[in-house]
Amino acid sequence: MKTSIAFDIEVVSENALLLSWQQTISAVQHSDIIALQTQLNAQLTELIIESVASYHCLMIYYDFLKINTDELITKIHDIASTNSPEKDKLSGDIHSATPLTEQPCISIPVYYDTEQEWDLRAVAQQCGISIEEVIKLHSSSVYRSYALGFTPGFCYLASLPKALTLPRKSTPRTKVPKGAVAIAEQQTAVYPNESPGGWHIIGQTPLAMYRTHNGEFTPAITVGKNVQFYAISKAQFLAMKQSEKL
Amino acid sequence: MNKNFLEILSINGKASIQDLGRLSAQHLGFSVSGAADEYAFRYANKLITDYQKTITGSMVQHQKNCAVLEVTLGQISLRANVDCIIAITGADCQVQLSNASMNKTPIANWQCYQLTRGDIIDFSMPKNGLHSYIAVQGGFSCQENKQAFLASFAQTENEMLLGLMGEKLTVGSQLFFADELLAAESNNTERSLTSAESLKTNSTPKNTNKPELFYANQELTLRFIANKLFLQLSAEKQQQFLSTRYTVSPDSNRMGYRLLPKNYTTEILPECLRAASNLSKPVTFGTIQLPANNQPIVLMKERQTMGGYPVLGTVIQTDLFRLSQMRPGQEIKFSEISYQQAQQQLKAFYQKF
Repeated sequence: MKTSIAFDIEVVSENALLLSWQQTISAVQHSDIIALQTQLNAQLTELIIESVASYHCLMIYYDFLKINTDELITKIHDIASTNSPEKDKLSGDIHSATPLTEQPCISIPVYYDTEQEWDLRAVAQQCGISIEEVIKLHSSSVYRSYALGFTPGFCYLASLPKALTLPRKSTPRTKVPKGAVAIAEQQTAVYPNESPGGWHIIGQTPLAMYRTHNGEFTPAITVGKNVQFYAISKAQFLAMKQSEKL
Repeated sequence: MNKNFLEILSINGKASIQDLGRLSAQHLGFSVSGAADEYAFRYANKLITDYQKTITGSMVQHQKNCAVLEVTLGQISLRANVDCIIAITGADCQVQLSNASMNKTPIANWQCYQLTRGDIIDFSMPKNGLHSYIAVQGGFSCQENKQAFLASFAQTENEMLLGLMGEKLTVGSQLFFADELLAAESNNTERSLTSAESLKTNSTPKNTNKPELFYANQELTLRFIANKLFLQLSAEKQQQFLSTRYTVSPDSNRMGYRLLPKNYTTEILPECLRAASNLSKPVTFGTIQLPANNQPIVLMKERQTMGGYPVLGTVIQTDLFRLSQMRPGQEIKFSEISYQQAQQQLKAFYQKF
């Protein structure tokens, strides 16, 4: 019988609970987190206003006028410890035969910054490896999407190969371009729009990071997916960018 | 074409459309956003609801939490393109009403008014406070076709690039509001109250006489729900945090308030506890972050959804509405409160409206 990985519940505000797991970046733990998130959203629909998952936490916003906080905490623990068939299906990553890394993958084309407009050369120097190695390391790993945050559609991906680990830039840029592909610490991400940014930019993608249809917002990368980057040429980048506009 | 709008004739500070924000889109990375001072926001809508009650004898549900214009540090001029009912609350901008004959009348804050087509209202820079709110009967939308985006009309500065929250407000901007309501009303009722003066006597909410009493006079005490990390600090460090007086930094804005310790203080967080709280996690309205420089940040409405700084706890919402009207240089201190008491405060607050 599978028991869920242990977590803490803290009452953070009048209307929010913070569920915390071990402070680490772990695909298995994270699968558990988003499985629980799915269960809570399904079973407590009238009470839950919003839920936000991150690497090791889940914030639950609820209507505190509709339910006593202690009661809600009890309900959450009950749901988490229930080992129902539905739960097995939803946390397919853990129980199914398919290992995490063989799940379907979102592929992101990257025109790597070989013309050195951004940080690729500096990253290579600081990591003590060649530019080609940076590109190879970044594009050969399969990342997991852990959280959406910072700006709409910005998705935190981890974990970078250790050889690429660098702290954030000491001076963030006031403006990074739309589609900038960047790295910092153990993470990589794509900036969905022009914005300030403190991560090292190693390339750009022509791919839109979200779609908006009928007033809905759909990110290209949602939480709990596998993501991989692949190199494209400048010509391909420009061509893809052109067709994105159509 | 919708003729129901207020037009911005001049603007020198900041203004945006706000309501209660996008409460259910944080999981997509959207800032909740919304009116910084919910007390003044709700009060403005209630003034209009109460006015509707006196006219029609019944409560009109949809005037609750309608989108308003949030103006920061006044300095804005608006002209009514049609007759409309508005309410003004928040920081006192010594508003002047000019009619077609250019007669200027000062109009009081925290009141409801009927504007005639062509009327101009002028907001000066307030002597105290930051944000003023203008509600309109029917509520504002931020673009002519009146579509909310993800259930809100709130304009979030860093998200305007999406192109889905209307235009950034500037000279010439037309602030549209619903037209169905006005049409229905003119058919049903006789509008006997037309002057600003007569509306004033009928629209003051019965149970609140001095709305300004909600706010702090001098120093503001921010009551916060301490978290596990704060409770792990030594009694000495906890006491240090609670007895320090902070001033509001000029680097404060709708995203968060930065607080500067008035006197030199030593590190509140020991290095081991600081290192143990590095991974980005969800934050909320009122989260108290403590960066390594010992200058706490209290997150406000336009915060991002994730944060990587250590957190000490969360300020209660009613005190955040008070904080939103504080200016750089004003003083703050913190005190602990239980979450149960915080919930009681917020519940009682909602019941006022």
